[in-house]
Amino acid sequence: MLSREENQLLTQTDPGTPAGSYFRRFWLPALLPQEVPAPDCPPVRVRLMGEDLLAFRDTNGRVGIIDEFCPHRRASLFWGRNEECGLRCVYHGWKFDVHGTCVDMPNEPAEYGFGNKLRTTAYPTREYGGLVWVYMGPPEHEPDLPKLEWARVADNQRYISKRFQETNYLQAIEGGIDSSHSNFLHASLDAFRVTDAYVEKVKKSGTLRAKYHILDKAPRFTVKKTDYGLVIGVRRNAEEDRYYWRLTQFLLPSHTMIPYEKGLAIHGHCWVPRDDQTTWVWTISWNPEAPLSEEEWKTIRDETFVHAKVDPVTFRPLRNKDNQYLLDREKQRTANMTGIHGFASQDQAIQESMGPIVDRTRERLGTSDTAIIAARRLLLQEIRDLTEGREPFTAHHGDVYWVRSASLLLKRHVEFDEGARELMKAEV
Amino acid sequence: MARNGHNGATAYREVSPDHIVSVKDFSQDTLRNVIAHLRASTTFEHLVYREAELDAIWTITGFFLVNEPASARRDAVGRLHAGAEEAHDLVAARRPEAAAVVLERFL
Repeated sequence: MLSREENQLLTQTDPGTPAGSYFRRFWLPALLPQEVPAPDCPPVRVRLMGEDLLAFRDTNGRVGIIDEFCPHRRASLFWGRNEECGLRCVYHGWKFDVHGTCVDMPNEPAEYGFGNKLRTTAYPTREYGGLVWVYMGPPEHEPDLPKLEWARVADNQRYISKRFQETNYLQAIEGGIDSSHSNFLHASLDAFRVTDAYVEKVKKSGTLRAKYHILDKAPRFTVKKTDYGLVIGVRRNAEEDRYYWRLTQFLLPSHTMIPYEKGLAIHGHCWVPRDDQTTWVWTISWNPEAPLSEEEWKTIRDETFVHAKVDPVTFRPLRNKDNQYLLDREKQRTANMTGIHGFASQDQAIQESMGPIVDRTRERLGTSDTAIIAARRLLLQEIRDLTEGREPFTAHHGDVYWVRSASLLLKRHVEFDEGARELMKAEV
Repeated sequence: MARNGHNGATAYREVSPDHIVSVKDFSQDTLRNVIAHLRASTTFEHLVYREAELDAIWTITGFFLVNEPASARRDAVGRLHAGAEEAHDLVAARRPEAAAVVLERFL
């Protein structure tokens, strides 16, 4: 459980808040390049950490992210004209480039010289790894881009989706690192009940997860602090002399990787606070060795796993709280735990059901919540360190993100970080 | 988790702060085990495990208070419930020795 003060410290990310200042020390995913597909295309609204911003691609192809509201009279620049290397407010013609500099102020006499004295809020951007990233912190502390393996593979080896979630970012991260819920929330009924037929079926499966996940619903957790954040080792019983380990990385400030099994695609998330009550969920699937296969594309299209179909403008999932995530009670009775299709929608439904900001003073935690406790304590420590003037190490050491998740069998006496050392090395 | 009751273990228990103590109840044996681990805890990881154990004690004592309203042990368990929360917050403040002292009041 957390105190009320700790919960507020972690969950508030508006400008000027401690957690907001911490998140603003990192490059963060802001939008998909296809949201601003061509030079001089229309601007798009981007809300990040309580700030209403606009993204636009200028005539030279550069992406700018600036304050949505014209500094003149606070009219929205969403209605503006994107042309000739700037975004022009249609109210009085003031024009801003991607750096936020006012490059034209046609309604004021030129001799007043107002224009070159004025800048609106503008944040630097980078196009990297299939995304447009933004840095919203102090210029003198500009960080490294994170050397995430998924950002380095070829475009045809990667798929990224974006969705809007109606919760604070933290309960979304907690869902991502809480391995024990997968035996329940994402389980078929046969898996949950461990029916004989299901056990026979998974014995023939080639994947470790299929074979061992269902056999132990109460895994043991180990956490280790790393340069990038945490590695969380979740141990389930396998054969008599071995454990099945699933290793999840939590990379600061808010990236995770789902345990990877060689030969399959790897999946991960990044959660970016949109404001205190909503979050952008970035989901990435990638294959470090080859283009995504037809089977992997089918999983994406069918929304079976971590991706969900969304409205192309709002990025709100098509399965959402207004339609009860297309809940099928008959399916819940006969097929799976929730009656909801797809892991992404199952996660979203349960996390949104907790309220926009979970009241963590009312929790009843146990030792299976170790990973969540570790992530909270790490984030609190990082946030407090920054308030005392210590810059986050991870933000300025992009190389530390060059890791992979893993899943493997180990002899029972072997520590997971030793046994998985080679598997956790990225290669691309 | 098992209900309140007796852990039943009497064998010598090795203190290994790198591993989570199995908290099945709030017996004296369990408390002594957690206290011993608190005293041996120094790293970030150790303190995370101790916090999880104290969360578990707080949870189980909370279940008792809800489920056993007429129990003669209610007041004592209520004090332990509050003590577990106090110890939990001390561990969160990176003061495991102080947390151990709090829990020792209940031995």
